Order: sequence, then structure tokens, then C-alpha cells
Amino acid sequence: MDLRLTPSETGFRDRLRSWLADVLPALPDKPDRDDWPARRVYDTAWQRMLFDAGYAGVDWPADHGGLGASPTEQLIFLEETARSRAPYVGANFVGLLHAGPTLIVEGTEEQRAAHLPRILRGEEVWCQGFSEPDAGSDLAALRTTAVRDGDHYVVNGRKVWTSHAEVADYCELLVRTDPAAPKHKGITWLILPMDTPGVQVRPLRTVVGSSEFSELILDDVRVPVANRVGAENDGWRVAMVTFSFERGTAFISDVIESRNLLEETVAIAKKTPAPGGGTLWDDAALRRDVGRLAAEVSGLWSLIRKNVSEAQAGMIPVQGASVFKLKFTESRQRIGDLASHVLGRAALAMSGLPGAHIVEDRVNTLSFTIAAGTSQIQKNILAERVLGLPKEPRWT
Amino acid sequence: MDLTLNADQKDLRAALRDRLADLWTPDRLRAASETSSFDRDAWKALAETGVFAITLPEADGGMGLGTADAVILFEELGRAQVPGPVTGTFLAAGLVPGAAEGDAVVTLLDTRDAMSVIEHPGAATHLVVIDDDGLFLLPVPRAEPAALPLDPLTPVARVSVRAEDGERIGSAEDAARWRLLGAVLTASLQVGAAQGALDLAVRYAKERMQFDRVIGSFQAVKHLLAESLVRTDLARAAVLVAALVADDPASGDLREAASTAKLLADEAAAHGGRTGIQVHGGMGFTWEVLAHLYLKRAWVQETVFGTAGDHAEHLAAAF
Repeated sequence: MDLRLTPSETGFRDRLRSWLADVLPALPDKPDRDDWPARRVYDTAWQRMLFDAGYAGVDWPADHGGLGASPTEQLIFLEETARSRAPYVGANFVGLLHAGPTLIVEGTEEQRAAHLPRILRGEEVWCQGFSEPDAGSDLAALRTTAVRDGDHYVVNGRKVWTSHAEVADYCELLVRTDPAAPKHKGITWLILPMDTPGVQVRPLRTVVGSSEFSELILDDVRVPVANRVGAENDGWRVAMVTFSFERGTAFISDVIESRNLLEETVAIAKKTPAPGGGTLWDDAALRRDVGRLAAEVSGLWSLIRKNVSEAQAGMIPVQGASVFKLKFTESRQRIGDLASHVLGRAALAMSGLPGAHIVEDRVNTLSFTIAAGTSQIQKNILAERVLGLPKEPRWT
Repeated sequence: MDLTLNADQKDLRAALRDRLADLWTPDRLRAASETSSFDRDAWKALAETGVFAITLPEADGGMGLGTADAVILFEELGRAQVPGPVTGTFLAAGLVPGAAEGDAVVTLLDTRDAMSVIEHPGAATHLVVIDDDGLFLLPVPRAEPAALPLDPLTPVARVSVRAEDGERIGSAEDAARWRLLGAVLTASLQVGAAQGALDLAVRYAKERMQFDRVIGSFQAVKHLLAESLVRTDLARAAVLVAALVADDPASGDLREAASTAKLLADEAAAHGGRTGIQVHGGMGFTWEVLAHLYLKRAWVQETVFGTAGDHAEHLAAAF
């Protein structure tokens, strides 16, 4: 056991650092959060820069155009890009972290050739069509139907929480192809081109006030059978493959941002006069709250290193991923609360007052304990799969 | 970077776990909780596993291993609720004759504590006082143990000693190092206590029937236990990293890592101990079920080598 990087890992980190130092100062300003076309241009341009420098698809296998980096190198990549405040994966998220890896494992040669190089080069943006109004935590209850008609499926239904839908070229879509089968056995995974007639995108406004995601309305949408990934009615298994890429590394950069947010909070506290004289930082209760959250952030970083070590050793850190997501999302929300309490009444606006971005962040992180498996579902996973407690009786 | 246990470490852990399963069965823990006498044979048998000496050089009868190996074993001691001043004796091994072999039983006192209370006053053969100026070895002062200690397996007594009356066996730097290592080792005992309480509660939740179902099938119970698991795993990772930093100072800041580990482990043990009692329901409030021992030990251990509040202040000072 040790915490040190190998010489080759140090070399990887140093080359990446120097590349980031070269390119980041020349990047244009980030676009307005509601300007989706501009966000797509910004995010895909960054992906193209990564591609040209040889950093596209760090976690993808080399024979599919990725870097084939080890788990430790992936951690280094995410850590260095976050520390240097490089652009986030953004609109490339579903393509790079979901659809691409799924096609690598489950796709046909034609599907891989059509999509993988374009995802890596930032030429293709994907969105996710999994959840529905009546299928959230119980995803397998999804009701969007696909009926075979010759060499096409005819799809009808609604999807929600679809990020980047307005600017996406393709959608990873789960549909029900056998309504008579048990709910997990009648699902199929399809590649939906977003320009197909009958696809309607309706932006949903989030509690932040912006439209981070959309509702998809699918009305007699014809999808070629050749766009099916995996066998008909085997889509639940394929979706589990998709999810397996999501867990574990998704929040690494957020842990670094958590530490940054704590530091910013302390800086504000040290400058803010206290009612009885001195500054807010003279308050031992505040310092202890900060210290406790700092311990949690530091512990989470240790947990990441442990999870990555397990992945490097060929283990699948299922337990570590759920433990991490539960704890990180809770700590992250408490940091936002603490920062807002330090801001006081400056925390009453998401623009125009000092610390506005902290307030926006506080509201935005409300989604953290809901998205990608709610905290309650994560606790069920740990209780049932790790502690071995019996499942709830199911009413089906 | 590697935070996985190697084959030797797994063997070491399994061997100690097996030995402790024989030495400290639930019945023996229950019996020990009824008496104030200290089982010197069990202490000697524990020392024979080598646990107090593993970080000593092989030439001195040790195994030449690191703090990272020690915390793996200390978690087992915490999980088994082994009675006795294990941290003091481990730290004193090599300095106090007989500590490594289990002939000396070494208890500690830190002069930073506002109240001078020592653990195991009757069993201890030596007292080491940790002072800002160094480490001082003293005979154990005669003191009447409290008739009703919080943890029945941790007798305590209030004492009055002066560090300078003892033999100086370590420098101020040694004392500072003991405080950090003591925090890391105690944190690993706390992780063990949290895990032990969780194991006991999970076993009960799989057996206890109410409303025609085992209570572990209810989400309300599942979520309590899952939360314990989360706190325990988080603390365990922090302890491991702190121990690795202790072994390789260039790889991190030991003060920060030790504070992180102790704070998170105290919380894991205290919450986990409470959950252990809660899941046992009314039986959890009785002396018959061992759940109370984990929580009481957690409450003892959260007072030594810095409270969570102290460590939170240390961590805040780094900003």
C-alpha cells in the first residue's frame, strides 16, 4: 500500500499539466447558461482540443480510439482538469460517459464506426431518453412503446430529464417492445436520431430558473431496426451496462470544487465584520463547521483513491461508488448551506450581489441527491447488495 | 497509489480475527463486563499475536511493518471490543520494557486534558504522560477506580500526577508524534467499533420478526444501517490514508490526515453505536445484548487524542 504515483503516472500528469497551462489561457469566455447552441459549440470545441492533443476518451479502450488510460491515470486526468478549472465535459457527457462506452461493449461494428470517432472528435452530441413521467426510480416501469413495422420500430411516448436535448444529434432511448413480458424483460435500447420526424423537444425549467433539461415527446417516430443496440427485449441488461460507466468517477471534479467552495467561504468569513466586532471567522462554531466539512471532503478524496485502487486491481467498486455518492451529495449540500449562511442576506440573489454564484450553486445541488439514483435508492442498494438485507416485498 | 490490502495484510488480519474470535467471545465479553478484574492471560495471549510489536524492527522482536499494517490490526481490536489500553501499550512498545511482550500494560495521560482521568488504573503497570515537553514514564498512581465506569470494560480513575516527576523517555517531538499516531490508532479502533456494532445490528435485523417480516426488510431500518455503513467506509478510507502518510511523510500532511481520520471515525463510531442499539429496539437498552458496549467504547475513545471539535479546529486553522 502506498499513496505515491509511479514514474510513468507522474510523467502523464506533468505532460497534461503543461498542456493545460498552454491551452487554457487562450480559451474563450464561457457562454451564457441559457444559450444552448453556444454551449454546444463551446463544449464540443473543448472536446476537439482534447482529441487533437490525444486526451479524448481517457477511459475508452485504445482499440476504439480512446486513451486506454489506467484508473489511476483517469483520476489524474479528472483531478488535473478540475484543479486547473478546465471546461467540464458538458454536452459531451452522455456520448463520452454513457452511449460511447455502451456501443463499445454492446454495439455492432457499423454502430461503432458510425458514432465512436465522431463522439471522440466532438462532432456528435448525445442525450439520454431513459426516465419517464411515471418511470423515475422505478425505471423498468417505462411505458414508451416501440412496435415493429418492417425494418423500423414505431415509437410513441414521453421521456423526461433529458439533458442537452435541444442540441443533441442522437438519443440513447429505452423503449418497451414487449408489453406482455415482465417489466424488465420487454425493454429495448435504441439509437434515436434527434432529427427524425415526430421528435418534439420541450425544455423544462429547473429550480435554478434555467432549462438544463427537456421533455421529449415521441409521436410515431420511426427508428430503423439497425439502430437497436443488443437484442430485442434485452435492453434492461444493456442499460445496466450503460449505468456501470456512470458510477464512481462522475463526481471526482466536484470534490475538488467542494474544497474550493469551502476556501471561498472562509475567505468571505474572514472579510465579513461580525456584529460584536472582529469578523465572522472569529466564531468558533463556524470554524468547527468548516473543519468538519473539510474532514468530510478530505475523507471523500481518500475514498476516491481507495475506489480507484480497487478498480486498478481489477475489482468493481460497487459498494464504494454508492457510499461515495451518498456521502458526497450530502456534504456538498451542507457546504452550500454553510456558504450561504456566511453570505447572510447577500445570499438572496443568484445575480447582482456578491457571492451570487454560490447561491446558484446551492440551488443547483438540490439535484445531486436525486439524479443518477436518489439517496434513498442508494441506501436500498447498500442495504440489499452489501449488507444482504432482504428486498422489500414487491407489488407487481 | 494502492489502497488495497495485499495478501500478507489479508493473512495478518485473518489470523488476528480468528485469534480474537477465540479470545473474546460474546460470552467472555459479557462476563468481563460484570467484573472489574483484568484478564492478564488474555492480554498476554493478545501480545503473543505480535500486535503490539509489529512496527518494531525485526532485530527488536518486531515485524518491521508500518502504521498502515497496524491500523488494519487495530480495526480488528476495536471490532472485537478487546479490553485494555491497547494504544498506550502499542506506542510504548520498544520504549517501556515488557510492553511488546504483554508483560507491561501501559496506560496514558495527556497533560492537555483539562481533567486527569486514566483508563485501566488497576490493570496498568506503567503510566506514560504525554506532555508538550516530552514523554514521561511514571508508576501508576494509587487511585480508587470509579465504581460505575461508563464503559464496563474500561475502568477509570481520576489521578493527580506531575509529568516532571517521571523519567523522561521521549522528546517534545516524540510526544507530538505520539499524539498524531495515537489519533490515527484510536481512529482505527473507532472504525472497528463502528463495524462491530453494524455487524451485530445487521445480524439482528435479519432474524428479528415483526409484522410477519424480518425487520431488516423495512426501508426505515435498512436506511439506518446503510448510513452506518457509509460513515464507517468513509472513516476507514481516511484512517488508511492517514496511516500511509505517517509511514511516508512526503505523501501528505500527517496533521491534517490524522485530524480527518479521528473526526470521521469518532462520528462513525458514535452514530454506529447508537444505530446498533436502536435497531435492537427494547433489547438494545438491556445489558444482555452487547450493543451497548460498542457505543460506550466509542464514547470513551472520542475523548482521547483530541475530540472531534478539537480536530475540526485544527482543520479550520489550515484555511
